[in-house]
Amino acid sequence: MIRKLYRLWPDHGILLRLGALHAILAVLQGLLLGLLVPILRALLQIEPDFQAAAPWLIAGTIGLIAYWILTIIATPVGFSASMDLAAGLRHHLMNYVSTLPLGWFTDTNKARLARAVTADSGNVAHLAVVIGAPAIVSMLVPLTIIGVVWLIDWRVALVFLVIIPIALITLRRAGRIASESDIELEEAAAEIAGRAIELGQAQTVLRAAGQGRSGSARMREALDEHRASYRRGLRRSMIPDLTYTAVVLGGFVGILALTVQQLLSGSLTFTDTLVVLVLAVRFLEPLGNLIELIGALRAMENAVVRIQSILDTPTLPMAVNASNALNQASIEFEDVTFSYGGTPALRNVSFQCRPGSTTALVGPSGSGKTTVIRLIARFFDTDTGNVRVGGIDVRKLDPAVLLNDIAIVFQEVYLFDSTIEENLRLARPDASREQLERAACAARLDEVIERLPEGWNTRVGEGGSRLSGGERQRVSIARAFLKQSRIVLIDEAASALDPENERAVSEAIGRLARDRGRTVIVIAHRPATLAAADQVIALEAGKVAEAGRPMELRQTNGIFARLYSQYERARNWHIARHSDQNT
Amino acid sequence: MGNNHAHSHHETDVTPDISEGGKEHLAKSDALWRLLRPVRIKLLFCAILSALGAAAGFAPYIAVAEIARNMLGSQEVDGNTIWMWVIIGAIGACLRLLLVFASSRLGHYADAELLHDVRVRIVSKLGVLPLGWFRDSGSGAIKKRMTNDLEEMHQLIAHALGELVGAGVAMIVGFTYLLMIDWQMSLITMAVLLVMVVCYRIAMRSVTTHMSRLLAAEGRISAASVEYADGISVVKTFGTGGRIMQRFAAAVKEHTHAMLDWVTETKYSSAASRLFSSEMTVLGVVMIAGLALVAADKLTMANLLPFLIIGVGLPTSIMPAIQGGQGIRKGRVAASNIEELLNRTALMEPDQPKKPVGHKVELDQVSFSYDGVAQAVDEVSAVCNPGTVTALVGPSGAGKTTLASLLPRFYEVTGGSIRIGEVDVRDMSSDRLLSSMSLVFQDVVLLRDTVTENIRIGRPQASEEEVREAAKAAHIHHVIEALPEGYNTVLGSGSGGLSGGEKQRLTIARAILSKAPIVLLDEATASLDPDGETAVQAALAELSAGKTVIVIAHRLHTIRNADQILVLDQGKLAEKGTHNELLARKGLYSRMWAAQQKGESE
Ligand SMILES: Nc1ncnc2c1ncn2[C@@H]1O[C@H](COP(=O)(O)OP(=O)(O)OP(=O)(O)O)[C@@H](O)[C@H]1O
Ligand SMILES: Nc1ncnc2c1ncn2[C@@H]1O[C@H](COP(=O)(O)OP(=O)(O)OP(=O)(O)O)[C@@H](O)[C@H]1O
Ligand SMILES: [Mg+2]
Ligand SMILES: [Mg+2]
Repeated sequence: MIRKLYRLWPDHGILLRLGALHAILAVLQGLLLGLLVPILRALLQIEPDFQAAAPWLIAGTIGLIAYWILTIIATPVGFSASMDLAAGLRHHLMNYVSTLPLGWFTDTNKARLARAVTADSGNVAHLAVVIGAPAIVSMLVPLTIIGVVWLIDWRVALVFLVIIPIALITLRRAGRIASESDIELEEAAAEIAGRAIELGQAQTVLRAAGQGRSGSARMREALDEHRASYRRGLRRSMIPDLTYTAVVLGGFVGILALTVQQLLSGSLTFTDTLVVLVLAVRFLEPLGNLIELIGALRAMENAVVRIQSILDTPTLPMAVNASNALNQASIEFEDVTFSYGGTPALRNVSFQCRPGSTTALVGPSGSGKTTVIRLIARFFDTDTGNVRVGGIDVRKLDPAVLLNDIAIVFQEVYLFDSTIEENLRLARPDASREQLERAACAARLDEVIERLPEGWNTRVGEGGSRLSGGERQRVSIARAFLKQSRIVLIDEAASALDPENERAVSEAIGRLARDRGRTVIVIAHRPATLAAADQVIALEAGKVAEAGRPMELRQTNGIFARLYSQYERARNWHIARHSDQNT
Repeated sequence: MGNNHAHSHHETDVTPDISEGGKEHLAKSDALWRLLRPVRIKLLFCAILSALGAAAGFAPYIAVAEIARNMLGSQEVDGNTIWMWVIIGAIGACLRLLLVFASSRLGHYADAELLHDVRVRIVSKLGVLPLGWFRDSGSGAIKKRMTNDLEEMHQLIAHALGELVGAGVAMIVGFTYLLMIDWQMSLITMAVLLVMVVCYRIAMRSVTTHMSRLLAAEGRISAASVEYADGISVVKTFGTGGRIMQRFAAAVKEHTHAMLDWVTETKYSSAASRLFSSEMTVLGVVMIAGLALVAADKLTMANLLPFLIIGVGLPTSIMPAIQGGQGIRKGRVAASNIEELLNRTALMEPDQPKKPVGHKVELDQVSFSYDGVAQAVDEVSAVCNPGTVTALVGPSGAGKTTLASLLPRFYEVTGGSIRIGEVDVRDMSSDRLLSSMSLVFQDVVLLRDTVTENIRIGRPQASEEEVREAAKAAHIHHVIEALPEGYNTVLGSGSGGLSGGEKQRLTIARAILSKAPIVLLDEATASLDPDGETAVQAALAELSAGKTVIVIAHRLHTIRNADQILVLDQGKLAEKGTHNELLARKGLYSRMWAAQQKGESE
């Protein structure tokens, strides 16, 4: 437990200092109580002997002052340790997950991360200090007291001593069960957290399904499960907790009885009896507290484990001496096979994009177009085969260098909840006003900015929800334009745009592609875009079905030719066909 | 009826943040009391048991003290009296542990109950809030209310109450006993505790402000991390400079600063309260004062002993209550956050819902504004008859999606009215309203659930067979079959991913399954390839037969044969008519058409 915490803690020195401080405090506390023995021995007489008590009283006063000073010192140390730990853990977690492959970011893992970064980090930091200190005290004070009692009467001390191992054994069991229950409860809570996020994001869907008021069935299950596991935990911990309580109680009654018996039989003076009884009370109090502490300690341990398990996720492997420069912007797939887990999304895919060329990727939905783009940016690693950018295997490239040269327009647009300008600047923090304007203009975003009352400073809402679909898409396109990178990957840039905007954006992409230094891959279905490409690669079910110049492919009877004519036919389709017949 | 309608809009633009909401409500702690209603009885018993336990807890101390007095008082040791005190002490100790144990159990059961109850209430409340609230607060806020805020209340319910009552009783019993022995010493002991309480109060004087600041910072950390993970592919591609991380870093920094400010401000007072709450301090003071009195012959050693024994134990019984007080404060801030959410004005439900006749959709001078300034929809009027298709077209940002989301009352119109089957949508029960529509939105939203359930949400009572049929019609069946666990694959976890077009088809299957008489399609096939688009639109055509269909589309050829086309521009209805009529007008529509034809044939 301590070892696990130790591993997580950024600054070991502070942890050690804190532990030592509290250990000293605990022993001091025990010894101060022990001072009662000589003091009371001297004073609990018909005629109190102040002379004999004086040195002990002085020692006690000094001890007390030392205790005060240490307490005053310990508090800020604890606080700053706690703050450092919380902040350190949070940064460490976030930095770490940024190196994980994209596939890690499933909804479940996102919920885990959110929990680890907020509640878990906070609790670990808080508890390490708030619970750690009393735990040390609760252990060391009784031990010191045993030492003191030993000096008075070893038989009574033996009873004290016997209680400790029995108590610890029962405590362990209670701790184990507490830990198991905590894990269960925590899982239930994490599920609720994930469902709560979903509840917000899918609210429209739930309402449309008439489940607005009740939440999804899964949400209800999650809530019920949480209550059930809470109760289960309480039920299961009942016996072990009671056992521990009984042990401590039994110990108390035993000591009381033995001491009184010793007194009545005359083998203990009544002064010593009193001192022993006072110490016994002080001995059992912290021990009794341990049962409360153990639950909290175990919960902290579990939080530590949860955080650690995220930090133990393997990152994308990094080459030892990664290349840190791209000489040219070619893209090459060599016999690439890749699967997300089930059936392969890409099978033996090979193709080449010369630097400066434009490639159109076509194929039916689900054929693997987006996957190709993800592999180029190394969001995932291939199962077999190589992806090379600039002639270098992407696994041998420094990820920062690779991504520095790539701009992507994603099929699923995601914007951050800040202003339009901020969202663009992500691509290029130091962009000049003019560069911003130019990118906006090319993506037809200028029209939006002009129309919105707050212009560049419009807040876009979570994920971009305060903008219309097409506005969002244009921000994403402008963002990619602004980056001015040598490789541009465009996944369905115009799906949400009206014809006029679509045309303008297509033209802008065309201009971008004509730049000789820039390699472009577009995924699109519009004949005009396809015809302008240097080469077309048609995917079908994860395989390259055909590749070549668009004009050539149109002459064949292949998939591209079919798609092309499908598109023409699609134009003749209309939703109203059936209703026309009916009326 | 009419006067019901004006209410809800302004709710959407007031979003007091956590801190303000917290402060404002803190004064009235009855927020907490109201939240606790379902578990009040349990809590009452929890408090009673805790009080009894605390009282019993004094027995061993008193026993030891009495034994001591007994022995010191008379030189003759009376075995019987001593054994009696031993038994009383033992019984008291046992009772205390058992009672406290029972009390804490009860508190925890109450906690389990309350968590469930409040969460259910939050969920159902969220289901009736205007959608604007979600846009403004973000889903991170919902998560926080349902997890962190409620967990803050744990301390309060499961621990603080019992401890507070216990400590109160302990104080009363303890001091009553001590007062019976010696009033001077009692006063001195009390003074130490009083100083401690005063210091603690001073240390905690600004707790509310600081706590609110801390909670707000925590909220920001949470939101930033959620956002970071949600947008991870954007982060990876564009955020190499760490710009997105800055927001997170800023939130963490603010949290640390808030903590630091608090600690610095209360450095001395909290150190002082820590000192005075230490049993060693009480021991020291009791010793010094007591011995002085003994030396001055104002006190006997026998009477000093109980102060050593009990007085020293007092901080231990009070401290939890004081820390519990902090728990209560935290719990109160959290409770008022939750209460604030639970008290938000819901969309008005009509007192006497009316039943629509038929499914004609009428837009009557409909206006809507998100911010109260710009009109996103501006006085749009139209009639959509059952069995016809109405197309909504217009430039991006014209207000098409907005207009469509007024129909299911996701937002409340700010002017004019929408009628379905001659009944204002605000006079219909929301269940009836929503179940009369199949909706496919521009933004694809899937639930983290099995494929079957994702489709079935369109009509919860549908059979597996119907789900499959709908999937086949949406041309997604074969894709689902290929998933690792077919229809039982849980989406959004591990291998349960789908391509963009596949997701869209899944939502279409949802709509096909629902079979509602009004169909609303917002860019339903935008990210499909021509192949898929043809197939899916054939299925949609089937779905739409005989229904009131409203389609939003950018690819104008898909709506060329619609019965009427509404052309929106900047929220206003710019043109209305059939394809040919609109082409003849040579307005916006014909311009868009030309742009599209040109783009395609170039
Ligand atoms: N995150 C994911 N996890 C698991 N499988 C996935 C994931 N994303 C895509 N797939 C699967 O991989 C295959 C290829 O998907 P991809 O997204 O590359 O298709 P696409 O050609 O871009 O399709 P679309 O035109 O619909 O966007 C599909 O069968 C899809 O179900
Ligand atoms: N939640 C919101 N809060 C504030 N403004 C919004 C919100 N949603 C949309 N808007 C604004 O309202 C206007 C209309 O948006 P709407 O989504 O209705 O457009 P649309 O016609 O559907 O466009 P598109 O074709 O791009 O989807 C836009 O200017 C948009 O920025
Ligand atoms: Mg795709
Ligand atoms: Mg829209």
